[in-house]
Amino acid sequence: MTVRLGRRYGFPASHRLHSPALTDAENRATYGKCDNPHGHGHNYEVELTVRGPVDPVTGRVVDLKTLDGLAEREILAPLRYRDLNKEVPAFRSAVPTTENLAFEVDRRLRLAWPGAFGADGPVLEKVRIWETERNICEVADFV
Amino acid sequence: MIISKKVEFSASHICRSAQLSDAENDFVYGAAANPLGHGHNYVVEVAIKGQPDPVTGMILDLKRLKEILEDKVLGVYDHRLLNREVEPFATVVPTVENIAIDIWKRLEPHITGRARLHSVRVHETGELFAEYRGER
Repeated sequence: MTVRLGRRYGFPASHRLHSPALTDAENRATYGKCDNPHGHGHNYEVELTVRGPVDPVTGRVVDLKTLDGLAEREILAPLRYRDLNKEVPAFRSAVPTTENLAFEVDRRLRLAWPGAFGADGPVLEKVRIWETERNICEVADFV
Repeated sequence: MIISKKVEFSASHICRSAQLSDAENDFVYGAAANPLGHGHNYVVEVAIKGQPDPVTGMILDLKRLKEILEDKVLGVYDHRLLNREVEPFATVVPTVENIAIDIWKRLEPHITGRARLHSVRVHETGELFAEYRGER
């Protein structure tokens, strides 16, 4: 039977929303105080939704140690307590909005997914990121 | 249209499979394999699907849904040791995945009229949930 399992993680990080393709005035108009040159931070929360059949022996859709290990290695360790603009290569060119952060987290997980779970393993269905309680972005691969 | 209701129950469980060795159980479930059990405050979100009645504006009377949840889920699960006191967990490991499937099976026959059960989402902690939508 197909079940979706949701797992939530958190990491603090800082960023500045500023596009080199825009003028200073345009950046200020677009991003407001998020354009502060000194940056600012958030307690980000990431929720992964994994879909698959329930293993009849273990009762699990996904091995949680493997999932937690993958999340730690691919997203939490590289992003935790980082300046996203300066320390994460993807954001040297892309503005670290919640949207682009969700794409980056999704990209990192999907690259490493087959190595962790094999070709026939559970599917990563959705990545959801909370920048704050009121600002949420999700990337989904709905079938 | 989908409408959902949230309820809570507290219960204890032991995550050990009779088909695995002690060492395998400890490896798969970690601390949750403690043979003496441990508990959670579970949160259950039940979503029902349908078109609202043109007169009442409701898909299903939420009082009725609350009664069904009380009778079929909370009355069975609340303050119980799931492995010993709730079918089918004498033989099925009470992981959050299997709890979501079992709650679906208990509710689905009773969601009738304009309403159909859409999903059962069970939060075991703030960091872990399982959702079942009746898929085989």
